[in-house]
Amino acid sequence: MDNWRRIDIDAFDPESGRLSAQDLIPPNETVVTLQELQPKISQLRSLASSGSMDSAVKLATSDPPYGADNSTKATYFQAVLEALTQVRQSDIANIIQQLSSEQQDVLVKYLYKGMSVPEGQKQGGILLAWFEKLTQKAGVNPIVRYLSDRRTI
Amino acid sequence: MSQSLRPYLTAVRYSLEAALTLSNFSSLEVERHNRPEVEVPNTSAELLLQPMHISRNENEQVLIEPSVNSVRVSIKVKQADEIEHILVHKFTRFLEHSAESFYVLRRTAMPGYSISFLITNKHTESMKTGKLVDFIIEFMEEVDKEISEIKLFLNARARFVAEAYLGEFVY
Repeated sequence: MDNWRRIDIDAFDPESGRLSAQDLIPPNETVVTLQELQPKISQLRSLASSGSMDSAVKLATSDPPYGADNSTKATYFQAVLEALTQVRQSDIANIIQQLSSEQQDVLVKYLYKGMSVPEGQKQGGILLAWFEKLTQKAGVNPIVRYLSDRRTI
Repeated sequence: MSQSLRPYLTAVRYSLEAALTLSNFSSLEVERHNRPEVEVPNTSAELLLQPMHISRNENEQVLIEPSVNSVRVSIKVKQADEIEHILVHKFTRFLEHSAESFYVLRRTAMPGYSISFLITNKHTESMKTGKLVDFIIEFMEEVDKEISEIKLFLNARARFVAEAYLGEFVY
């Protein structure tokens, strides 16, 4: 072993106090599987297709699947993105007025995630319209909470 | 300002305002070092905050990566065709060569982006945070105009050169 000086001995010490990304996620999240989430996804789709956008957005932004694995989150996210992009520009401000503070925090997470994937970037205009209306209502607060929240959607 | 540019810049402005709450933070790894945590490979995940993607479309994006004492802002400038691609590359490279005089400019851009800024707690302590945000927003506004202006000049010049050169062959 010629590079023994470069071995990071602190990494082997469980008491070193270092935190990995997994350590930061708050514990006792309930694990959600795709089967459990399927009714919610289909309810979201039916609400969005029937035109009751305010209840669809409220449903999407309440109780997000923090405890799910990545593929489940991606499937759920697709349904949320579809619902968000179907809303007319003129209705956005009205819907945001009805959201609670927690729901606004979750909405910001979906907006940032939407703008980071190619499917959402195609719809960048509508996501930015959501973002603008949200900042008019709540200011910088949901963004600050987004920055420090380790639970991802 | 066009109708779709305004929400884009508003989103960047609010995100930057949220991210630019930096504090002086010494390195946990190296004694008596104080380095931008977003730039160094670090073993403590709590120092990095959630990254923010803001995109107007596939070609115009901003990535803001906040950490405890530094924020990295990467901008992808609109590149509609090959000429704009070359122009953006030349233009940003020219700026990066004189990065010292811009203080917050990063010498190389992040992969996939045209230009990057690195704002540390030193900058927010010695400059007004609001003005820093204004600078980034103004840069984003101006760079599009600048690139399309250069493109127009380039086309006019090419036309003139072609006329002067090919005029030789007219009988």
